Amino acid sequence: MAQTNPPFLTGVPELLVLRMLSGREMYGYEIVKAMRLVTAEAIGFGEGVIYPVLHSLEEGGALKARRKSVNGRERVYYAVTTKGKRRLEHLSDEWKRVSLGVNSALNGNGAGGDPEHA
Amino acid sequence: MREERFESLRLELLQSGVSPVYVERTILELTEHHSDLELAALESGLGAEEAARTARATLGDERAIAAAILAHPELLTFSMRYPRVAYCLQSAAAIGALPGLPLMFCIEHRPELARWAAAVGVAATLMGGVLATLNWLIVVPF
Repeated sequence: MAQTNPPFLTGVPELLVLRMLSGREMYGYEIVKAMRLVTAEAIGFGEGVIYPVLHSLEEGGALKARRKSVNGRERVYYAVTTKGKRRLEHLSDEWKRVSLGVNSALNGNGAGGDPEHA
Repeated sequence: MREERFESLRLELLQSGVSPVYVERTILELTEHHSDLELAALESGLGAEEAARTARATLGDERAIAAAILAHPELLTFSMRYPRVAYCLQSAAAIGALPGLPLMFCIEHRPELARWAAAVGVAATLMGGVLATLNWLIVVPF
């Protein structure tokens, strides 16, 4: 059974998908493989859930899709639009801000000081 | 037929009001993805049955996929997203169509209407003739 991550990772698949597609257009299976590779499989999920994320981003205008027949296989390739690039920048900034905050808390810089020595 | 594999998911999504365009695309993509996973598993040395099982597990549970799709309201049909607006629009369209319905009926049933008009014309002519004759018989003195 595929591993899953807690709900607080909402928004992360969107960020990763946009990041993967910022270099070149890809289809679903390629995107998942690239994600597993660059995250060293740190983020586990049932691979089928990538498609609602892709379709939602397409619906929102962040991605555009085109069908292509490759070696008798019907592939749907996704590419980032200008709007998608702006969304990626925004999500990246958000993620950096949040991770900085979480790291700061883990390093004991929070209001309560080092939780281990509280 | 490979796509029969996700038939229950297709039905569930359609019944839940997901736009048919996205349903068909999702089924196509899942089918292709499953084939890629199966192929990769076979290349890694697994047997056919084990490869199919691994591909299925990696792809994830159909319920989880359906839940993930339904969590995106933008993928639903307009009438599912805005049921009240859709209801109002449908009602307005129905009311707006009412005056046009007789005209549409006439266009659709042209031959029958032509026959009916001809019959009415013949009947009116005959009746007119009979009445004129009677009138002439009564009014004109012998």
